[in-house]
Amino acid sequence: MTPGLLLLLAALSLASGIVTGPRLARTWLALVLAGAAGALISAWAVLESGAPWEWRSGFHLGGEPLHLRLDGLSALFLVLLSVIGGVSAVYARQYWSDERYPDSAPAGRAWWCGLMLSMGGVVLCSNGLHFLIAWELFTLCAFFLITLDRRRREVRAAGWLYLAASHAGTICLFAFFGMLAARTGGWDLGPMRDRAELQPLCWLMLTGFGVKAGMFPLHIWLPSAHANAPSHVSTIMSGVAIKMGIYGLVRFSGWLPMPETAGWVILVLGAIGALFGIAFALAQSDLKRLLAYCSVENIGIILIGLGTALLGTARDHAPWGRLALAGALLHVWNHGAFKSLLFLGAGSVLHATGTREMSRLGGLWRAMPWTASLFGLGAVAVSGLPPLNGFVSEWLVYLGLFDAASSRAASVGAVMPAIVMLAMTGALALACFAKASTIVFLGACRTQAAAQAHECGTLMRGSMLALAGACLVIGLGPVLFWPPISRAVEAWSPAWASTVPPVPLAKLGLVQVTVALAACAVASWLWRKSRANGLRRGLTWDCGYAGPTVRMQYTGGSFASIAAGWFAWLLQPQRVLRRPRGLLPTDATCIERVPETILERVLTPLSQIVMRASAATRRLQHGRLSAYILYVLAGLIAMSLCVVLRP
Amino acid sequence: MTILQIIARLALWLLVAPLLPGIINKVKAWVAGRRGPPVLQLYYDLARLWRKGVVLSTLASPGFVIGPAVAWVAVASAGLLLPLGPAGGLFGFRGDALILIYLLALARFCTSWAAMETGSAFEGMGAAREVSYAVLAEAALIAAVLSLCIQTGSTSLVTMLSPSASAGAVLLAAGLFTVLLAENCRVPFDDPNTHLELTMIHEVMVLDHSGPPLAVILHGAAMKLMLFALLLVEAVLPLGKLTWPTAAGALVGGVLASTVGIGLVESLLARLAFRRVPLLLTTAFLLCLFALLIAWKGGGGA
Repeated sequence: MTPGLLLLLAALSLASGIVTGPRLARTWLALVLAGAAGALISAWAVLESGAPWEWRSGFHLGGEPLHLRLDGLSALFLVLLSVIGGVSAVYARQYWSDERYPDSAPAGRAWWCGLMLSMGGVVLCSNGLHFLIAWELFTLCAFFLITLDRRRREVRAAGWLYLAASHAGTICLFAFFGMLAARTGGWDLGPMRDRAELQPLCWLMLTGFGVKAGMFPLHIWLPSAHANAPSHVSTIMSGVAIKMGIYGLVRFSGWLPMPETAGWVILVLGAIGALFGIAFALAQSDLKRLLAYCSVENIGIILIGLGTALLGTARDHAPWGRLALAGALLHVWNHGAFKSLLFLGAGSVLHATGTREMSRLGGLWRAMPWTASLFGLGAVAVSGLPPLNGFVSEWLVYLGLFDAASSRAASVGAVMPAIVMLAMTGALALACFAKASTIVFLGACRTQAAAQAHECGTLMRGSMLALAGACLVIGLGPVLFWPPISRAVEAWSPAWASTVPPVPLAKLGLVQVTVALAACAVASWLWRKSRANGLRRGLTWDCGYAGPTVRMQYTGGSFASIAAGWFAWLLQPQRVLRRPRGLLPTDATCIERVPETILERVLTPLSQIVMRASAATRRLQHGRLSAYILYVLAGLIAMSLCVVLRP
Repeated sequence: MTILQIIARLALWLLVAPLLPGIINKVKAWVAGRRGPPVLQLYYDLARLWRKGVVLSTLASPGFVIGPAVAWVAVASAGLLLPLGPAGGLFGFRGDALILIYLLALARFCTSWAAMETGSAFEGMGAAREVSYAVLAEAALIAAVLSLCIQTGSTSLVTMLSPSASAGAVLLAAGLFTVLLAENCRVPFDDPNTHLELTMIHEVMVLDHSGPPLAVILHGAAMKLMLFALLLVEAVLPLGKLTWPTAAGALVGGVLASTVGIGLVESLLARLAFRRVPLLLTTAFLLCLFALLIAWKGGGGA
């Protein structure tokens, strides 16, 4: 079957999922999986063969002929969409079931199909107008999915913030596509690198897609939306939806003539975003909010790669740019896999305990061994540690940066700070996920809710296992994934076309496999040796203290306090502290909250100034006719004065 | 041939590493005018712990034992990636320097995971300090690696570590030595001898470990010390330009010298207050950064 036919089948099954979804849950799941499989196979076929699929139809929509294109780059994102969309639909079937959420589950299924369909449209449309239509539909479907549980006030607030921020970005995109159409004389999209007059448009594109991608400092909507959405929705938002912004950035930075400054801007914003994003993540006490901020970090890493690639193209297509771009694109997949795994794990915790507050959890490994170990695996992957997938893409980005620095090309030395920031980001990510996974799953249960937790159901576990498998496979066999990534790189810049990896990925894979196997072997050997020597259970020693309580454990806040303290100028934590007083103190409280600094300290004050100015202006309009006649009179006098006094 | 080589190197790491802490203790005893424990004390300790039973906290999951095992594997693999002066690398390839750094990070993650298993505030404190100070140490380490990379134009350890000894070598040596002290929890960052748990980093993370897992942790720490000492010596001395016997002698001598140096630092300095630790680590980072700038300005180098 040709990709076109498969895509048509996928679209048809997703479209019928919209119709049947609300009533027939099982049929819906089958339709979504069929759609995902169709899209996956067609995208993989394109990545495998390297031959793009293109379809121009005589059918007109909005006065423009339909033009679909599935090349290496679109196929890369289509693979991501179909895998994450399919896997989290399986999860949603059990997590957001009709029995638990009779009001919202049926509508949620329809919106899910709509979201997958519109995101598919975004990556396939090769006509500016249709791209915008798909983009807007995707934004709306995502809004309704985020606000599925809209009886809760914070969910509504998060939804509105998302909608407002997204549309602020969409306005830029309207301007971008409109001006592009005006200057090129048509809405049709394609490579136009040789038209230097289009260069200034790249800033509009950067802002518009940057909002969606959660690029620092345009990420303001992201933390609350990802934290308050149902977990399967957070998964697709973080795994796929923000990648649509990345898709736009990569796609149009490949097609448009880009000034070198844009490369620098993207690189700097990426490096700052990665470091600050993970600093914010470290300071969070809400598990899902922590994961959301970590998405800002990972988007930063992807942007570092993209920025370096743009610098490389500006320097006669230097080979290090190709490495960095390949790392960035592989990180798109990797982040999709491990962040979705982590969000699904967080969803299972929320499902089992009813809270996302890490300080109310703890000791969950006993009740939820599967979730605990899979979340731990995701934590290793997201920290970019060998032998899992996160390391492979970070390694490629690092190598690109190192080669750029050692090439000693003029001014490229400025990528060196990015390398140091990337290293610090990695170490902070490790601290952040050492905190998240151990505070939630290890130690003693901090509350009753945590003590009564239960393991998640088979469907939920199965979908987490599938994503963990993806993390393992990409980590252990990176060389297998080079050809598809190189197709996407080729679609971005034909000058870098080659399917032979420029770096020893096979040797990296060998090291990763060896480490993984040796770790398993030594761990089981040590466990058996310990058992053979005699294993005894005892109270935690705690330096001889006889009566430890669960509240004496280290909390997430205390775990993060050292590193978060270094970023206090950025995080601006708000603290309400009532110290114990007197000889026999009765109570004391300490409440700490880390606000979204950009939103609450920068944007809110700015918008308040605008609101105040508008309120002052509004006083002119009060409904008193006599005053209005006075305005008209004053206006007439002013105009006649202008005429009379004109020389 | 390669298999034999791997076994030989693994044996070297297994057998030689526990010697270094013994030498440090001997130096400290010598400065203090004591006789001190025998140089082979750690071997005796390891053998004793290997035979002992294990007490597990009631809260601990299997990760409590798996963590140290994975951390040990990570450090050992990092050791195998490191070329040994004149003997060259076992498996050198482009980009292995980064794998080495990230394998050490994996070890850190696993140690912290195991520490948090017990739900003890002390171990949480140690883990929090370990992962936080590592942020600065890692920045310094990557700056050092980057300066070597710029000097040699390569990201493979074998090439990076062979010429060296440029103008920035002194700065690099000072920076890497400070990182060595921090990463291996020596004075002035941590005091491996103290029994006041509140002041420690590494020792406090392993308070609840016993028996074979503790032996694995101690052995892993010794290997990590040896790894950093080797890295320091190879980064600073131009081993690639010397003949085989001289280079081997220089390598062994250098490792011994840095071990003695650690012992002297521990004898002569007091542990820093914890709020000063970031300051010293930042200094180490700046030293490596200046080495990097010298490499950048210095032209192609060797």
